[in-house]
Amino acid sequence: MSDQKITIEFNDKVVRQFLLASVIWGAVGMVVGTLVAAQLNYWQVNFNLPWLTFGRLRPLHTNAVIFAFVGNMMFAGIYYSTQRLVKARLASDFLSQLHFWGWQLIIVAAAITLPLGFSRGKEYAELIWPINIAVTLIWVVFAVNFFWTLAKRREPSLYVAIWFYIATIITVAMLYIVNHLSIPTGLLHSYPVFGGVQDALVQWWYGHNAVAFFLTTPILGVMYYFLPKAAERPVYSYRLSVIHFWSLVFVYIWAGPHHLLNSALPGWLQNLGMTFSLMLWAPSWGGMLNGLLTLRGAWDKLRTDPVLKFFAAAVTFYGMCTFEGPLLSIKSVNALGHYTDWIIGHVHGGTLGWNGFMAAGMIYWLLPRLWSRPLHSISLANLHFWLGTVGILLYVGAMWTSGITQGVMLNATTEGGTLLAYPNFLDTLNTIRPMMLMRVIGGSLYLVGWFLLIYNLWKTIATAHPVNGTIEVFADEGTVVHEDKITLVGTFLNPPVAFSIFGVGFSCAWMFGGDFLSIAGMFGLLLCVVLAYAHFESRGKKWATWYDRLLVNSVPFTILVVIAVAVGGLVQIIPTVLVNRGANLEERRQLLYTPLELAGRDIFVSEGCYNCHSQMIRTLVPDVLRYGDYSRLGESIYDHPFQWGSKRTGPDLARVGSKYPNIWHLRHMEDPRSISVGSNMPNYPWLFTLTTDLAALPGKIAVQRLLGVPYPSWTDAAIAADFVYQSKIIANDLQTAGAVIAPDKQIVALIAYLQKLGKYETVVPQSSTAR
Amino acid sequence: MTPIPPPEDDTLRQHSFDGIQEFDKRLPNWWLMTLYGAIIFWVGYWAYFQWFHVGLDGPQEVTREMSKIEAARLAAAPTTDNTSLWKMSRNPVFIEAGRTTFNTLCASCHTEKLTGAIGPNLVDQLWIHGGTPIEIYATMEKGVLAKGMPAWVPVIGAKKSAEAVAYILSFHKEGERIEMQAAWIPQAPK
Repeated sequence: MSDQKITIEFNDKVVRQFLLASVIWGAVGMVVGTLVAAQLNYWQVNFNLPWLTFGRLRPLHTNAVIFAFVGNMMFAGIYYSTQRLVKARLASDFLSQLHFWGWQLIIVAAAITLPLGFSRGKEYAELIWPINIAVTLIWVVFAVNFFWTLAKRREPSLYVAIWFYIATIITVAMLYIVNHLSIPTGLLHSYPVFGGVQDALVQWWYGHNAVAFFLTTPILGVMYYFLPKAAERPVYSYRLSVIHFWSLVFVYIWAGPHHLLNSALPGWLQNLGMTFSLMLWAPSWGGMLNGLLTLRGAWDKLRTDPVLKFFAAAVTFYGMCTFEGPLLSIKSVNALGHYTDWIIGHVHGGTLGWNGFMAAGMIYWLLPRLWSRPLHSISLANLHFWLGTVGILLYVGAMWTSGITQGVMLNATTEGGTLLAYPNFLDTLNTIRPMMLMRVIGGSLYLVGWFLLIYNLWKTIATAHPVNGTIEVFADEGTVVHEDKITLVGTFLNPPVAFSIFGVGFSCAWMFGGDFLSIAGMFGLLLCVVLAYAHFESRGKKWATWYDRLLVNSVPFTILVVIAVAVGGLVQIIPTVLVNRGANLEERRQLLYTPLELAGRDIFVSEGCYNCHSQMIRTLVPDVLRYGDYSRLGESIYDHPFQWGSKRTGPDLARVGSKYPNIWHLRHMEDPRSISVGSNMPNYPWLFTLTTDLAALPGKIAVQRLLGVPYPSWTDAAIAADFVYQSKIIANDLQTAGAVIAPDKQIVALIAYLQKLGKYETVVPQSSTAR
Repeated sequence: MTPIPPPEDDTLRQHSFDGIQEFDKRLPNWWLMTLYGAIIFWVGYWAYFQWFHVGLDGPQEVTREMSKIEAARLAAAPTTDNTSLWKMSRNPVFIEAGRTTFNTLCASCHTEKLTGAIGPNLVDQLWIHGGTPIEIYATMEKGVLAKGMPAWVPVIGAKKSAEAVAYILSFHKEGERIEMQAAWIPQAPK
């Protein structure tokens, strides 16, 4: 090794930029969150304005906190820690700036389009297709910048934080691209390529793993760097890092279907979702343990150091949520908690507690190091901590109470179990109103805490000079010695990987094989476990040595991550997509939407009705008693996007068609409280003045045909004629009932759609049934 | 950064990253048991539901439960003929119970005075779907879905439905004139 030393200056400018962006967007996301929380209890704060309505703002809230707040925080943390962990400046200043400004532009575009009602209608994937393309491109910029930096590293071995960053970059790209595949019908609108159950499965494979790989793995990486730094203690256990990293990234992907328990999703997928969620408990807690136990010997510092307070609380909330997640994935618990506020409490424990507090701890730790001035006020930071903690506890406590209360009421029966105890949905809604108010109070406390952070930050940096970190390295430091290089064959031909591949292979044979394959798979699996155990006991050192070598080989490492995260999705999604959707539909096929109904459906999606109304009657007695016969796969098979929903702030709509007269819907959309006393639904006055977009329909129907929806090849004139004919029938009916409305208004199309919900034809069952 | 020296039985890994060191402690037994326990549960659960098909899936389960409920309902249904319903309509216990049900569920369309708004007037002598007790009961049983009248009997049960019919009949007299009306013109509720 030559003794010539050089000094590297890190690119901390981009870290500062991302940090400030995170702080600002965090405030925006939380303000919108407080507003939408208030809207649920006080419908008046929807202001009768389309762009301030809950259905449009809730997607803005979720997208802002996930992609803008946590996203920017993650980029700041990743860029700061990676440069130091690999002893190299970020590969490209240009790519760093492109990444930063591109991401902010995307956020601004989202903040404009979502309130205007441009939406794909899939949760956390609402942004329209041009923005999807921009997100993909900027993510590639991030990936290139990151892996290029790894390639230039002077520290050969990859630290555990870097493993998590690699998994994040790979998996988010995979999830995002697949779930955003769509065919445009215009500049601002597209239909997802998947429909019905396929779309549901892909959506929750994405949605669940966005939580995993956008809100969890990068933040675990951030934890592994900043927590030991702040505590000045060694990480508790390296081998725990290894085990929990690989088990986490492998198992997480399989658990997506737990968002669709007791639904029309095929049973085998539900059972995978539930059992893998339970298997996820220990891997998740591995991260919590390594965080909390690293603090051993530093607990006394918690009294004085706000940074460690935030980290310790964040990791505790992480542990709480990752226990709650598997619990909620148990089918019977899910039957109570799903569609209720319990889920809202669960995710806010994660976002406010884990993400928000990790962000706060990291920011307070970074400020003096990026601006070379001590934090303006430690006591304000402590106050922030306590306000935030009380806020979260109020919020989460209120949502638990609310969710369980409403769940119990909705499921309660009377007269020997033959009748619902609370047939009126609104009785259950109005019982939880005090808890809704408590949520607003808890959220507001948390928001005030965040404003304290902004004030503290401002006072710290306003007159301080930014500083960039430096490091002295030997000029030729970090070259990997030849013996440590791993070839492609070496990546797979080694005990840990070989045993894992055989284990997963045999498991799949057992689970999905026929009679013989199942038995062979079970035997193979048992044999594999025994052999792996014996091999590890006798030659465990080999496993460790190989893994140490893997850590200096970033490409083989990345390849193994790709495989680990791809398996779950491949096993679940491919069979579901390959099923001939015209054939196996549980004997029911939904009737095609007429042009007017399709236009109405697009309005339903655009207004974000799915944020409060599900279209999925579960295979549960209380659901069937309340909403009618349980939903079959075929009843939503042509729905691009699916609208099964994930929350019932209002009742399910799967069979609302023909349940009420047209005039009921008109009056209800005009002023929900005139029909449903005590409803918290916003008024929709603009639907009575805006005109339905007839001109776009031929293009939309052409795309639907392309996606396999069996529309006849109508001419544009035929579409227009059908549209006019049906809208006049509805307008005439409304007029008879005393409401004069022009047939081309959006409300007419929406009513047409709502009246179609639950309409199906019976189809003769096919002999072939797919698993 | 100089980490605090570890206790004797702890060995630090040789390598450090930007000053971060790592212990290599054994995994806690309870943690391992949680992991192994969940894996064993997966095998057992999958075998029970998907391999040997012992457990019922969602549709089978709900179908079984719903037939039990159907049977219980049939067994508990009250007598709903004209004579019994008229008798009930003169009994204050039934009327009071019926009033509660009516005001909770029916009044939003028919109003608490039964004079009608979205749904038709129920105190005049004009009837659309028939005004005899069993005809009124039948309307509650099947609903008038096209006009927005839900089928109430499956929702609230035969007993409460009969009580509600009795409450409506308490505004009428047996043998009263029944005129058929073609349709009701809905009005916005006052």
